[in-house]
Amino acid sequence: MNPLFMSLLLIVGLGVFSYTMYFKIQLLLALGPVDLSGRINNIGERIKNVFILAIGQKRLVGRKREWLAGIMHAFIFWGFCVLLIRSIGLYGEGFVKGFQVPVFGTDGLIGYLYVALKDIMEGLVLIMAGYAIFRRAVLKPSRMHNTWEAYFVLCMIVVLMISDLLLDGARYNLITLYNNPEHFHFFNNPQYGIEFAWTPISVGAASLINGLSADANSWILTIMFWTHLTTQLVFLNFLPLGKHFHVITALPNVFLKSLGYPHEKPEVLDLENEAAWEDETLGINHIHQLSWKQGLDLYTCTECGRCKDVCPAYLTDKPLSLNEFNDDLKAEMLSNSANIIKRAKLASGITEDGEADKIEEIKAQMAELNSEKAIVGDVITEDTLWACTTCRACEQVCPVTIEHVPRIIALRQGQTLMAEAYPKELNVALKGLERNGNPWGIGYDKRADWAEGLDVKTMAEDSEVDYLLWVGCAGSFDDRTKKVTTSLVKILQEANISFAILGTEEKCTGDFARKVGNEMLYQMMAEENITTLNNYKVKKIIAACPHCLNTLKNEYPQMGGNYEVIHHTEFINQLVKQGKITLNKSVEGTLTFHDPCYLGRYNEIYDQPRSLLNSVSKEGLTELDRHGKESFCCGAGGGRMWMEETIGKRINNVRAQEIVDKKASTVAVSCPFCLTMIEDGMKELAQEENVKTQDIAELVADNMA
Amino acid sequence: MKILTTVKRVVDVELNIRVNDGAIVEDGLQYVINAWDENAVEASVQLKENNSAETTLVSIGGDDNADMIKKCYAMGIENGILIDDPALAKADSAIYAKVLQKVYEKGDYDLIVTGKQAQDTDSGQTGVMLAEYLGVPCVSNVVSIEVVDDQKIKVSRLGDMGTEIVELTLPAVVTVSDSINEPRLPAMRGIMMAKKKKIETMDLSALGTSIDDLNGGALQSEVVEYMQPEARQSGQKFEGAAADITAQVVNLLANEAKVL
Amino acid sequence: MTKILVVADIKQGVLKGSTSELLSKARALGAETAVVAIGSNIESLGSDLANAGSDTQYIADDASLELFSAGPFASCVVDAAKQSEADLVWFGFSETGKAVAPRVAAQLNVACASEITDVTIDGDNVEVVRPATANKLIQRIKVNTDKLVAVVRAGAFEATEGITGTENVVKLSIPETDLKAVIKEIISEAGDDIDLADANIVVSVGRGAKDQAGIDLVKELATDLEAGFGSSRALIDAGFMPHNKQVGQTGKIVAPTVYFAIGISGAIQHLAGMNGSKVIVAVNKDPEAPIFNVADYGIVGDLFEVVPILREEIKKIRS
Repeated sequence: MNPLFMSLLLIVGLGVFSYTMYFKIQLLLALGPVDLSGRINNIGERIKNVFILAIGQKRLVGRKREWLAGIMHAFIFWGFCVLLIRSIGLYGEGFVKGFQVPVFGTDGLIGYLYVALKDIMEGLVLIMAGYAIFRRAVLKPSRMHNTWEAYFVLCMIVVLMISDLLLDGARYNLITLYNNPEHFHFFNNPQYGIEFAWTPISVGAASLINGLSADANSWILTIMFWTHLTTQLVFLNFLPLGKHFHVITALPNVFLKSLGYPHEKPEVLDLENEAAWEDETLGINHIHQLSWKQGLDLYTCTECGRCKDVCPAYLTDKPLSLNEFNDDLKAEMLSNSANIIKRAKLASGITEDGEADKIEEIKAQMAELNSEKAIVGDVITEDTLWACTTCRACEQVCPVTIEHVPRIIALRQGQTLMAEAYPKELNVALKGLERNGNPWGIGYDKRADWAEGLDVKTMAEDSEVDYLLWVGCAGSFDDRTKKVTTSLVKILQEANISFAILGTEEKCTGDFARKVGNEMLYQMMAEENITTLNNYKVKKIIAACPHCLNTLKNEYPQMGGNYEVIHHTEFINQLVKQGKITLNKSVEGTLTFHDPCYLGRYNEIYDQPRSLLNSVSKEGLTELDRHGKESFCCGAGGGRMWMEETIGKRINNVRAQEIVDKKASTVAVSCPFCLTMIEDGMKELAQEENVKTQDIAELVADNMA
Repeated sequence: MKILTTVKRVVDVELNIRVNDGAIVEDGLQYVINAWDENAVEASVQLKENNSAETTLVSIGGDDNADMIKKCYAMGIENGILIDDPALAKADSAIYAKVLQKVYEKGDYDLIVTGKQAQDTDSGQTGVMLAEYLGVPCVSNVVSIEVVDDQKIKVSRLGDMGTEIVELTLPAVVTVSDSINEPRLPAMRGIMMAKKKKIETMDLSALGTSIDDLNGGALQSEVVEYMQPEARQSGQKFEGAAADITAQVVNLLANEAKVL
Repeated sequence: MTKILVVADIKQGVLKGSTSELLSKARALGAETAVVAIGSNIESLGSDLANAGSDTQYIADDASLELFSAGPFASCVVDAAKQSEADLVWFGFSETGKAVAPRVAAQLNVACASEITDVTIDGDNVEVVRPATANKLIQRIKVNTDKLVAVVRAGAFEATEGITGTENVVKLSIPETDLKAVIKEIISEAGDDIDLADANIVVSVGRGAKDQAGIDLVKELATDLEAGFGSSRALIDAGFMPHNKQVGQTGKIVAPTVYFAIGISGAIQHLAGMNGSKVIVAVNKDPEAPIFNVADYGIVGDLFEVVPILREEIKKIRS
């Protein structure tokens, strides 16, 4: 078309883009380091994830909820992917007339299929973009917030589609109506026929302007051509500036997502490191302490708000709006971008063997570059930070695999360890943990009282057993949960399993201490427990509490505790399969299951509880609307069990109401927190006569043949 | 203002405490800071934070007390004195009070804050006796302390007639109730810093005294036997229709227990 | 013969029950009894003090002694102790007793024991029994000094019916006011209620009552029974009940004939305050509540339903 203009366009377009990207990347590199061993391992699986999640858009189209919106976005995305090839052709055309993209631009079968696909995709994208605008403007789903940015991008997409269609339409007209005065190339392979038979939509577009003269069509073509490419480059440059950055960053973000364990585990902080206390590098205290992966997460947030739709805190009116949280942090990060980069440059000047004075000076200069705002307090509120129950529903639905929870925990670490600014109502529970190994502060010597008369061995009496039964604090001290422990023991004894308990040697695993950022207390509990477990050479552990399960299985290895940990529902399920116990289908009425967050979303255990419930229920299991991966949290995780819920509605009441609405006569749980919260919820709703809350162990024990 | 706070290491009363042959079974017991002294430490630290004051704690015991003292440092106490002398292995309130008197005389404190009683003995005598020995005023069961000026403080006491607001002329002794405050958890950073902090350890001679000065070590009273309290047995529990069971119980109260 | 001096417990010009309880025990031990009364406008109590079981009454009556002040009170007691040559000086269980007893012991340079539940005298040997370590242990203590100052646990001793004494008043000189500890103000709490320490029946309300409406409901029961009205810590912490109503380890220890625990779960700290009651009646919705482990009669039910029925039934049975 016009090589000079094309070059200029590309130089400016790509130049500005590179410039913007350079600073964006430089900022990321100036942020904290990431342990790559957990981010670039298992390349095969990572690539698979990119295909399934990013390109396949599984979390959008594979989700029953908002499926249509998912399809809408997926097609816009796929449309873009398909059109990319066409765009290359157009850029080529800008330099060399008749430029054809290899393979896809030639008139072989692939070429034809491509033009057909491209054509249909353009039409679809246009419709989807139209629907998107309609949805935003008219339907207004609550999770979305309407910004000019959103409309601008959608309009650009519409412009891109229309310009391309009109471009092709004009071309069609010039070729078929006006005898191709500019000698455009088009497919006319006798085997497949004329190109235009395969591109009905462009032909349709052409019919809109076929009343105009050849010159007019030619003008339209030229204008549309340059409009299309310019819009594309404007679009490209617009991407890094806002939430559409995800178009570029989503793929690497999905690639780098944590495998195996759902997200990065909190780092085991070196609390003995005095320098860390002085520099305030324990936890996240300053914006520059975000890791670059966390920075990438912030870049990638599309502000879609799906997280809000599933967040138990947000849905009960607490001020934890995750996409706003991300946005606020991102804004702070970006506004401090120059300082963060400067700071990193200074930091690189500190070497191990540098002069102490020099180092002090550099550190002082670095301190000057700290943000003026306190993250917790100025950028986000305390209530926002502490409302989280760490349930991971947000991470489960996030289409671009942002890892929200570790960031929240790191911020809590900063608050607890450095700023001493954590909810003081936690003190009772923290003190209890430290003194007597349980959050209620009940004498440690009473931890095995529940086992009196049940003929249960302690490891001290006989450690040559197959399994250690980890009872947990609730199972040992809470009156209601003790019944679950008793049921579990009954089952194990019925199946003649060789097991023992630690009894008074067992201490809280430290889960909630870690989740509220108290690494010091967590490490203390972990060390003590690991020493005890290792002394007895424990190999296999059965845990009735998913929080214990999670900590023992996934977090203790960080500190030298490696055990095979299995949840009691998994284990009982095994026993049934092995025929060691048989179950009667004698539970009457509607039976539902409330998936515990730490069992499902943290450890992917969904089927075994269901298998058991189906084996005891006459009617079979009835699923709640929010079940499985999208189960709705009971509200107790993240240390919230030990705090008062003063803002908004009570999470457990909301969940209890959902269960009541399902007309359930029994709700099964498999976590002591869920048991407490849901049973309390039923009492609050005055439904405890109508809906019984039972642990799966209780249901099994009561229905063994 | 210089504040002296006393801190005692006592058995953790959350545990079951067993008696065998008239003596306490030590096996399995753990020891912690006396809860009321924790309130005293918190009160002292708050006074320091709100006024210009210097805080010192004193504890009587041995090496085992170090952990507890370090935790108090982490709560904000600046100095610590440990009186470690085998002659004090058996002591009573009077002897403790006399030792504390010597500690007081070695420094120059304006205010002594102690917990109102210790969780092991539940006697509540030492603080008051100390005030008597020193000839200074004392208010016990205090729920708030306010500094008026460097000569006077104003305290609230839970007395028999209600809450008494008392103005004390310093130096004075104040024993605190647990209603006075919610002791903070030792600061994380404080715990790290406290690891390096020193404790001034003295035996009786370093303190400038000897067991002869302290009644020759003679105990004014001593425990000759420990016993386990009798557990109260549970009686009858009634479940069912409120009207029926309530009528039943009232009947029993009148005719069986004969108390109505 | 042993000489026992009892410090009279006087509140708002009225002699409290603990005085005669302590004097009864003193008589039972075969001792010569004396009583010391400190306050303002208490001359008229002379005969009451005698009838409570004392042979000599030491009285310090002055306007300066109207409000409690530990220093002057201690001086009066020491004065009476020296004059009466008392071997044992006993205080009733009160904040006054707890604040003054150690001072008296320190001034006399003798042993002090708090919260004693029993005394045995065998010639020169005096032993006392007392609870310790949050009521988890009982100590038997040998007194090594020639005298003992003690605070007696609430309800530990029983008053003897028909006890008599001799009126023999000795006026004590009035000590100087303690200028270093000056009471500026007393904020009294609901002074019109029946004193928990003296009441024969105590009705206590706990968290189960939920709010002021529930508390008022339970209070009606207390009023019907002319009982002392107490509370567990929960309602005090929540601001519904004043401090002086707290029955529990860190509040008041009571030992009435009947103790009604309404909507109280029965935490150890509360039990420590009422375990000594003769008969315990509990009302609680939760059949597993620990209070049922110590209740003689336990009603599992909603207090909002049960309390009105209780009142009815009690009215019926009393008529």
